[in-house]
Amino acid sequence: MAVVPGLVEQAPGARPRRRTRRRSPFLTALPYLVPSLLIYGYFIVYPMLDSVRLSFYRWSGFRTEEPEFVGLDNYVRLFTQDPVFWKSFGNSVIWVVLSLAIPMLLGLLLALALNRQMVGRSLMRSVIYIPSVFASITVAAMWRWIYNPTLGMVNQLLEAVGLGAWTQTWLGDPKIALYSVFAASVWQAVGFPMVLFLAGLQSVAQELVDAAKVDGANAWQVFRNVTLPALRPTTVVVVILTIINSLKVFDLIVGMTGGGPAQSTQVLALWSYTQSFTNHSFGAGGAVATVLLLLSLCLVIPYMAWSMKGDGK
Amino acid sequence: MSHRIATPAPVVVDPRAGDVTAPTPEPRRRDYAGIGLWIALVLTTLLWALPFAIMFLTSVKSNADISATDPWALPTSWAWSNYAEAFEVGKLGTTGLNSLVISLIKVPLGLFFAAAAAYAIARLRFRFHRLLLAVIAVGSMVPIQIALGPLFNTMLELGALDSLPGLMLPYLAFGIPYAVFVLYGFFRAIPDELEESARIDGASTFRIFIQIILPLAKPALAALFILDFVGTWNEYAMATTLLRSQDNWTVPLAVQSFSTQHGTDYGPLNAFIIMSAVPVLIVYLMFQRYFVQGALAGAVKG
Repeated sequence: MAVVPGLVEQAPGARPRRRTRRRSPFLTALPYLVPSLLIYGYFIVYPMLDSVRLSFYRWSGFRTEEPEFVGLDNYVRLFTQDPVFWKSFGNSVIWVVLSLAIPMLLGLLLALALNRQMVGRSLMRSVIYIPSVFASITVAAMWRWIYNPTLGMVNQLLEAVGLGAWTQTWLGDPKIALYSVFAASVWQAVGFPMVLFLAGLQSVAQELVDAAKVDGANAWQVFRNVTLPALRPTTVVVVILTIINSLKVFDLIVGMTGGGPAQSTQVLALWSYTQSFTNHSFGAGGAVATVLLLLSLCLVIPYMAWSMKGDGK
Repeated sequence: MSHRIATPAPVVVDPRAGDVTAPTPEPRRRDYAGIGLWIALVLTTLLWALPFAIMFLTSVKSNADISATDPWALPTSWAWSNYAEAFEVGKLGTTGLNSLVISLIKVPLGLFFAAAAAYAIARLRFRFHRLLLAVIAVGSMVPIQIALGPLFNTMLELGALDSLPGLMLPYLAFGIPYAVFVLYGFFRAIPDELEESARIDGASTFRIFIQIILPLAKPALAALFILDFVGTWNEYAMATTLLRSQDNWTVPLAVQSFSTQHGTDYGPLNAFIIMSAVPVLIVYLMFQRYFVQGALAGAVKG
């Protein structure tokens, strides 16, 4: 319920009206908003918009030279003369699809399994969740060692079980490097969807499950008709966050391959960075960043609208 | 979980066990499917723990030992000296202190700013408050890499490149949106009567914020503190863009540098990785609940 200004002050015995009550609500709110909005606006919003502006300029990023306006030139080059851009775009898409397929489904399965009473349940949950607490750059360093061609765990294990022929240079082969990096991301990321699904499962009414069982439904029918519909809102959240987090992948790739070998693990976020800082082309970097921004907004804005609906007062 | 994601839900999952799922009334026969499932889960858990075990075993081996033994074998002699060497070579003292100082100043300050903004948006009811919230929340989800190029220029113009206080400014900025979003949901749920009765007693808006609203938000603030602390401790992209000299490095930069510069000193490298992750691990083990709450309250990973 809304406070009606002017009603409260009429209450008998109230102190004399404070001046602040007569100001518009926005003026009262302003001092509370200023620090956050100033910092957020100046260090996040402004640089992001500036990336869009820079995408219409040719500029090396050096102070000594002035940015030169070139219109859509950077975009034309990006779409027609930059094979790496399409490679990174494709890799980003692959990453999104794989992330929706593997960690999300695995997270759902683990949540369903670990939702039952069993010995060691909380320990299992923790062990699977802990990797997602670590810095991605740390996980990258770990997995570089795991993938070490001669001494790493993966190849040594293959040798030990007699599959020596299967050993690979996991991070050195352009055909498989992206999938090797992705495997490390599965290990790190699966805890997050698992925890969200576990929380979602708490909202499944036990009476419904019991009633369905009394009616003779088997486990699959219960899952299909009771559990799954109850998980729908959770699933929306997990899908969107999985896609967004896939577009953000950066540290893990920098740490494991730096985008190589032969750009085979290049993704949009890293290619934008590489164009700006390594190739000294802030215009091209800005153009890639703008593409990434538009992609993200296409997902985030509908999601925000969905998650904030029913919150009006 | 309600479809209004930003509601401060009660603790839903408590990973420390003890949350009650009604036991299914099973007749007294062996639940073979259940046992099979449990075995599958144990194997999965072991697979997930394997990298940690290998890392630890590598960290206590000499290089000769690493070449001679299997990764999963115990060392012939325990090379604990790897830890001291890695600490020294990787300058973990300096970088750890840098990370700690940044986190301990930035996190509370950012939370205070975010709480003030969330209070204004949630309870002061000016026009467009929902639009403002949406703009802030969107910012918490867009990849930060989009801003890095211009951010570098901005910091250069401010003369704030390669300095810890300089890094704190964008760090404040990247933590605020998520905190505002979560706290907004929390503040919305506080009944109006509390605030109204305080107003009748003549309390100013500021006093209401400090003495009534903030204390009520303690659980949310605690969860956000932990999450933001870990997020700050782990941040790499902005740090690598804005910091240059090794004396200003944070821990993630030191890890990446160690991994590229001393990539063949496998023992010390793994010792370094372990040491760099220990603070986060301790924080996780002490405040497990908050990770789950924080993830759920916002469900918008910043």
